[in-house]
Amino acid sequence: MKLRTALMGAAAIMAAAPAFADGHEGERGRDGQLNIIYWQAPSTLNPYLSGGTKEVESASLVLESLGRFDNNGELVPWLAADIPTVENGGVAEDLTSITWTLKEGVMWSDGTPLTAADAVFTWQYCTDPAGGCAQASYFDGVEQVEAVDDRTIKITFNAPKPFPYTALVGAESPIIQAAQFADCLGANAPTCTDANFGPIGTGPFVVTEFKANDVIQFAANENFREAGKPAFSTVLFKGGGDAAAAARSVLETGEFDYAWNLQIDPTVLSDMASKGKGTVVTAFGTSVERLHINQSNPDPALGDARATIEEPHPFLTDTRIGQAMSMAIDRALLVEVGYGAGGQVTCNVLPAPAVYASTANDGCKTQDIAGANALLDEAGIVDSNGDGIREKDGIPLKVLYQTSTNAVRQDTQALVKQWWSEIGIEAELRNIDASVFFGGDPASPDTFQKFFADVEMYTNNFAGVDPEAYMANWRCSEIPSPATQWQGANMQRFCDPAYDALVDKLAQTAGIDARAAIVKEMNDMLMASYSIIPLIHRGGVSAHANSLGGIQISDWDSELWNIKDWYRAGE
Amino acid sequence: MLDDAKPPQTRPLVAVDNLKMHFPIYGGLLRRRTGEVKAVDGISFDIFEGETLGLVGESGCGKSTVGRALLRLYELTDGTVKIDDYDIAHASPEALRKMRPTMQMIFQDPQASLNPRMTVADIIGEPLREHDAGSKLEREDRVLELMDQVGLNRDFANRYPHEFSGGQRQRIGIARALALNPKFIVCDEPIAALDVSIQAQVVNLLEELQDSLGLTYLFISHDLSMVRHIADRVAVMYLGRIVELAPREDIYAEPLHPYTIALLSAVPEPDPSIDAKVERVILTGDVPSPSNPPEGCNFCTRCPSVMDVCRRVEPTFQELRPGRYVACHLFEDTANNTSESAANGAG
Amino acid sequence: MFTFTLRRLILTIPTLLFISFVIFMIVKLSPSDPTGNLPLTIPPEVREQIREALGANDTLLVQYGRWLEQFFWIEPRVYLERSFGWDLGTEGEIRLLSYQTRSPVMDLIMQRMPQTLWVVGVAYLVGIAIALPIGVISAYRQYSVFDQVGTFVSMVGFSVPPFFSGVVVIVIFSVLISTDSMFWLPSVYDTTHQVTDWESFKYQFRQMIMPVMVLALQITAQISRFTRASMLDNLNQDYVRTARAKGVRERTVVLLHVLRNSMIPVVTVIALGIPSIFGGAIITEQVFKVNGLGQLLIIAIQGGDVPTVQTLTFIFAILIVLFNLIADVLYGILDPRIRYD
Repeated sequence: MKLRTALMGAAAIMAAAPAFADGHEGERGRDGQLNIIYWQAPSTLNPYLSGGTKEVESASLVLESLGRFDNNGELVPWLAADIPTVENGGVAEDLTSITWTLKEGVMWSDGTPLTAADAVFTWQYCTDPAGGCAQASYFDGVEQVEAVDDRTIKITFNAPKPFPYTALVGAESPIIQAAQFADCLGANAPTCTDANFGPIGTGPFVVTEFKANDVIQFAANENFREAGKPAFSTVLFKGGGDAAAAARSVLETGEFDYAWNLQIDPTVLSDMASKGKGTVVTAFGTSVERLHINQSNPDPALGDARATIEEPHPFLTDTRIGQAMSMAIDRALLVEVGYGAGGQVTCNVLPAPAVYASTANDGCKTQDIAGANALLDEAGIVDSNGDGIREKDGIPLKVLYQTSTNAVRQDTQALVKQWWSEIGIEAELRNIDASVFFGGDPASPDTFQKFFADVEMYTNNFAGVDPEAYMANWRCSEIPSPATQWQGANMQRFCDPAYDALVDKLAQTAGIDARAAIVKEMNDMLMASYSIIPLIHRGGVSAHANSLGGIQISDWDSELWNIKDWYRAGE
Repeated sequence: MLDDAKPPQTRPLVAVDNLKMHFPIYGGLLRRRTGEVKAVDGISFDIFEGETLGLVGESGCGKSTVGRALLRLYELTDGTVKIDDYDIAHASPEALRKMRPTMQMIFQDPQASLNPRMTVADIIGEPLREHDAGSKLEREDRVLELMDQVGLNRDFANRYPHEFSGGQRQRIGIARALALNPKFIVCDEPIAALDVSIQAQVVNLLEELQDSLGLTYLFISHDLSMVRHIADRVAVMYLGRIVELAPREDIYAEPLHPYTIALLSAVPEPDPSIDAKVERVILTGDVPSPSNPPEGCNFCTRCPSVMDVCRRVEPTFQELRPGRYVACHLFEDTANNTSESAANGAG
Repeated sequence: MFTFTLRRLILTIPTLLFISFVIFMIVKLSPSDPTGNLPLTIPPEVREQIREALGANDTLLVQYGRWLEQFFWIEPRVYLERSFGWDLGTEGEIRLLSYQTRSPVMDLIMQRMPQTLWVVGVAYLVGIAIALPIGVISAYRQYSVFDQVGTFVSMVGFSVPPFFSGVVVIVIFSVLISTDSMFWLPSVYDTTHQVTDWESFKYQFRQMIMPVMVLALQITAQISRFTRASMLDNLNQDYVRTARAKGVRERTVVLLHVLRNSMIPVVTVIALGIPSIFGGAIITEQVFKVNGLGQLLIIAIQGGDVPTVQTLTFIFAILIVLFNLIADVLYGILDPRIRYD
């Protein structure tokens, strides 16, 4: 509850440490070693071969892209000299191509110059069908990448691309060195272990030792383009253990300077932070913990038609029930119990970036059980047989509520179940191992796509700052079904032609304000359908030693996006 | 084929006085000592040089404990044991170790009593080594000599015990016991685990060795016919006490204690005509627990001739006539009236 | 004995093949997906491409056959080439690759081996070194105070899981004790640390203390109880009485007669425990971030990394089968009553 005051919009930063460089200048490597702990250890340093956050972020010390998103979600030029726009002529008027210009004099860490050919190679590398590139979606719609000259890259799209900053932008699609990966195209990708474990980059650090799933050692890149950076001469990037132990090693024992992804009991974390050795920081991106309300009928008796759009749910398609379910939830308490600094109450499936965030649904921020009961009573959905459970058309409101196995989620489930029971809806709880739930195995009945339940809960987000692709998840055609081998992102089976029309409109609209208006409308449509009930806007929780300066934690890019600016503050 | 020669009544080689051996019982949460088993509860006897004393009784009566206590394989609870006038019950461990060569033991189970990981030569030779008897070569010679003595093939010296038959193993045990030229050997049911055909061989071997080496035996057995064959005197034990001790002829001809009578009546007689005449005394009930023996006479719960006094007063072990000891109230009024009247007076 | 060993060795081949098939089917048929741990932002088509590139979509028999070829034919030749500089023509052949790291599984295992052997192996030795005297003295002085304390400590070692004892020692030695103190111990094991001189050896020693002690507590508990029981069995044997009756010194009785016979089952138990060293100590490795084989296995299981899980579990299976055989042979050597012919 107290955190309410801290709500500062979607990109809120809660950093107690000085957020801006305060005159810490000096020669490269002056501050010695930096110790970082990621309790999930990186398994490779090639982000194209593994889409995991830990791999992407560890690789971001070495590999860089044309532009990166700063802690406010704004695109800043990185390897590019500036950000191309329609106004400056970098983006074609018809939105079908973008032309980037590299900064002058950027060197790979081996001393060779970075050229446009490397960017072209990166595109070829990731789009080779036999390579299994994990970041292929960043190159969606890219028809051609060409090197106009050594410093100019032209990316052509097969259709107008109102938001063209995907390919080669952000931590997920950095530029790799053509010379190093030349023999690693397609099926040969995994044979290049040395390159995958020690990519040559343009970033502030170079890999000196990589032990998969264990530890990485970096040293300052002598060829880094900015003088006097990085401040640290070496980085120890340790993996393993669990979140609590990682938090302890920064906040209590002081063995490490920076720890990532500390999703632990908020009271434990604040106890640790009170030792005064380090600071907990949170970055809010687009992650939202939400409930999907199944619009299709998961009754096993339906056989092959189970959980398909042909069989509507007997009562959850009634928006009044969905609305009552949403009203009954005390989101602030959920934040307090399970998320602490790492969560905020939200009533939107798209809470950030700030420009896209709607305010139309904020009523859900306050719990209203009486209101929910009144709503259901008014709708004639009452408990007619006295068993404490309401019936709609004779069908009792009993729901199966599933999520992945995770202590916080099970706490949330228990609380929500209690609130729903107060409005006459009985929930049966179920939790499924995360690797199965999110595994997407078409043979398993327990995946989140099959959704053989009435309600399911998990977190989803999108990378980068443009919600176009994300909002397109709720098109009718995205509904998982046997015909698509249960692939698709429209888990709750929401289908509205008006919504699909907005998706198409967004794909042809340029200009941030116009786009924002459409996106807000889409968000509000989803909210009004009560097929999706947002609960918590989740942030990435990290901790750093108090002696570490220059940190600007961001959820829009790698958390370590500006590690070149980090320094050791004087004691 | 009974021995004709009476044992030379010389000096006692072994003198046991009021020997008590109580074993603690642990129980409860912290495995505290909660009681004790009175395995041997105050017995006294002598063994004369060159004789064989047979010690008989039912299983669990404490006869094996007596044998082990005599050699101080247990720490005695009370009493003294003198062997060759040396009180071994209170000797220091090192002094006791020096005494070990004079007294040895032959065990019931020849398999278990031989260390399975040592060869025959090692087993027989170990006491020699431990007591620094001669050089390595001399010791080897002595081992082979001992093997000859007990009738084992010398070629088997480097074999392990499990490669031998039961009778051969017992010979190994005997050879081992003889290695240090002992004077006194406790034979703890040495034949109980052997086939009948082998039993005679081993007993004969023991007798031969006694003759040639002048050994003194305490022969513990539950086999009354075998004891009759080998022993010069016989002691009968019941529940931790000796109830009767007498020369062999006397005890078999005229047993005094009711328990001895019952025990002997159970011995099969080779002559069927006599066997038919013998009246069997059948004891009823179980032996009481040695951790909680009855008050008064230990045998009172099963005695066919039990009297009132038996349940109150413990009979004394007394010499009824020269060489014949018995502990029974039936004989006590003639020998000692005062104790009973005293008991009556008290009651 | 030789023919016995040889016969047993030959028999292990079908056993191991069968085990490898069973492991493969269990791993493969359990619901897990190599792309399951990836962020939800990665679309299903890309996931499908990844699975395709990993070969996870081939039929089970093809995958199993490929694993067999890689494990038994390609990998041994690669290692022969590396160690002897021969050319066996492995150039261009696809080695046994992990799904997660896209690098050869065997190289990962070789990389992890030193940490595990150092920490878990040393813990095993320390555990045995503590356990044997405790077991012997506990049995010799049964029900004494020493025995009671030993029993208590063993029960604690048995019943306290390492995720508890590990965290307790971290809180004591890493958190409560100030970093400057000489008693402070690092809670995070540095796998990149190299021992080059006395100072670095001291650091290595310090960072091993906690994980080794936590592991050794469990090992000590097991082996000391086993030693005690075995000693008690033998102490009451007649041959011990025989030895005492012989006038053998008490020390000799205990150390030579009783201990040597008691060690027969203990040694075999120790031998049977050795594969677990290689298996690592999954929990303890996690608590102290030792990142040895145990951690490799658990991460591979979580990540749906079938080749790594399959290879690691199969190597454990080989070791278990092998050390069972070694234990049997040891029994034959130590106990003259047992002969395999």
